[in-house]
Amino acid sequence: MNVSELTLLVLRIGFLLMLWMFIFGIVYALRSDLFGQRVRKMKVDAASVPAAAFPASPVPAAVPVAAAAAAPVAPLTAPAARASPAAQDIPGAQAGMATSQNTTRLVITSGPKAGTEFPLGTETITIGRSGDSSLVIRDDYTSTHHARLMLWHDEWMLQDLDSTNGTFLAGSRVTVPTKIPLNATVKIGATSFELRR
Amino acid sequence: MRSLSRASALEARPANEPVRRLHLPQKLRNLELFLLLIACFINASSVVLVQLGALGELDPTLVLLGTGLSVLVISLHVVLRFVARDADPFILPIATVLNGVGIAMIYRIDIADAQSGWASAAVRQTVWSALAIFSAIVVLLVIRNHRVLFRYTYIAGLVGVVLLFLPLVPGLGQEISGARVWIRVGSFGTFQPGEIAKIALAVFFAGYLVRNRDSLSMVGRKFLGARFPRFRDLGPILVVWALSMSVIIFQRDLGTALLYFGLFLVMLYLATGRLSWVIMGMGLFLGGAVVASQTLNYVNGRFTNWLDALNPAVYDADGGSFQLVQGLFGLAKGGLLGTGWGQGRPELTPVPQSDYIIASLGEELGLAGIFAILALYLLFVARGFRIGFAGQDDFGKLLAVGLAFVVALQCFIVIGGVTRVIPLTGLTTPFLAAGGSSLVANWIIAALLLRLSDTVRNQPRLVV
Repeated sequence: MNVSELTLLVLRIGFLLMLWMFIFGIVYALRSDLFGQRVRKMKVDAASVPAAAFPASPVPAAVPVAAAAAAPVAPLTAPAARASPAAQDIPGAQAGMATSQNTTRLVITSGPKAGTEFPLGTETITIGRSGDSSLVIRDDYTSTHHARLMLWHDEWMLQDLDSTNGTFLAGSRVTVPTKIPLNATVKIGATSFELRR
Repeated sequence: MRSLSRASALEARPANEPVRRLHLPQKLRNLELFLLLIACFINASSVVLVQLGALGELDPTLVLLGTGLSVLVISLHVVLRFVARDADPFILPIATVLNGVGIAMIYRIDIADAQSGWASAAVRQTVWSALAIFSAIVVLLVIRNHRVLFRYTYIAGLVGVVLLFLPLVPGLGQEISGARVWIRVGSFGTFQPGEIAKIALAVFFAGYLVRNRDSLSMVGRKFLGARFPRFRDLGPILVVWALSMSVIIFQRDLGTALLYFGLFLVMLYLATGRLSWVIMGMGLFLGGAVVASQTLNYVNGRFTNWLDALNPAVYDADGGSFQLVQGLFGLAKGGLLGTGWGQGRPELTPVPQSDYIIASLGEELGLAGIFAILALYLLFVARGFRIGFAGQDDFGKLLAVGLAFVVALQCFIVIGGVTRVIPLTGLTTPFLAAGGSSLVANWIIAALLLRLSDTVRNQPRLVV
């Protein structure tokens, strides 16, 4: 079998291209690490979440509110509070709910570790006394698996996992999965925390 | 309407649904498998191209070299699916490509030297890869949580030092081209225990610094804008410095000494956040190296070869810059796109398959290929740093960054030496170069990084 010069040249360049495509493939898969997750999340948001319907929400002035519901692109800033028959009506709901876009960190506001914070990604945050929780709170009032914070259609929801002493959102006990307003106090045992921008 | 149905779907979930993630699809592992298949294809095609380029035909050696490594890495992938589901999906494919491209280049040089069978370095490299990946699997199976290593801090330190000085034991050590860093293992070949020692020392440094960093970082007096440590806290840095210097003097190995000392300095800087340690450490090492270059012949020779490489007298001298310049000629011949697999003359450089594999690859793959390989190293090291960054416990953070940095520093020392950025010192290029101990050590590093990345994702973010 005799291989012509031209074939070898093509194969040589093809190999280098393949090597670089492998590298760019890895970089592409890493893009959320390198550039943050914002770009990808917005597309998900546009596809699955209905646009904001409240005039109080920071919808760009150029887009009429009525058209916003049908517009293919959701507003860049997070939609404000929506009418949600099932979610409890909580004080401060007009201030804007915590979504994956406008919320970056969880800040402990009272308790032994007051002042510490950690960044929020998109994974579920489990809270409880057990060591496999994301946020371990070891005091007498916390249950083993006490509550969890999860992203539900891009919004942070607080779900009480049938805890003994309860989970309180802005002073009222959480019984059904509830949207969390930004900067609202969530109290579990002797610790309270807020989701912040 | 939509939000209504969403809320009712939420309510339909049992409130006390278990929190453990049990039946999620293994997204990370599937991504890894996809990248791994591409990596195996790259490796197989590089062996095919070597045969087409150097022999002009395909022969059966292809089957062993082309598929051996693929079978091994896919078995490692399957192990990961069971014991480290959340491990980083990029480390394994990157290591696979580097290892496979290395085997292809070693095979290409075997063809030039007309070696085959057990004499072929490529066959031996494949066998060593099997052993290395097997060690990686054992590490993943045995170490289920990296914090176990924290318990063995001082034992790891002792093991590291013993391994480091093992080649000096009479009857066991083996001297090859001046450096005494090998031990003879039966008839199987030689082993470089220093490669394994770097892992043990990384564990030791991480554990030691986590235990003692407060006294190292808090106290001391300010001088010229940096806080310098008290004299009594200087102990550890002086001990490691003495260790490195004794490696330079007794084992005549500049590269290994630089590697260990650099590792220690970076981990010290990470643990304390104080630049003064780095300044002092670099001052100590440079001082030691300058003294060594004046007093020790072999160090002096390395410096002369580096500074005055193209001088004909130095080029022709015994132990002169022949090898270095030959490698540079090879790189120059390669140009931008290289001569193509199997079509250059990398065998003209001494040891083209181990120390000089990067020059051989540069000749045949060109600047584009070298940069691709460097990009792979960059991604590998960046993943290690990322794992350290995401970690919650200080020991894991330090260990991940230390292990990643040791790979980076080793690349810099070897590739910098071959490309005449720094004086040439003999170290292996991680994953690429022929050499069993280096492969085993680097695959264990990969396994530890995989383990660390798995526990990082599962552990608590905050404990109140």
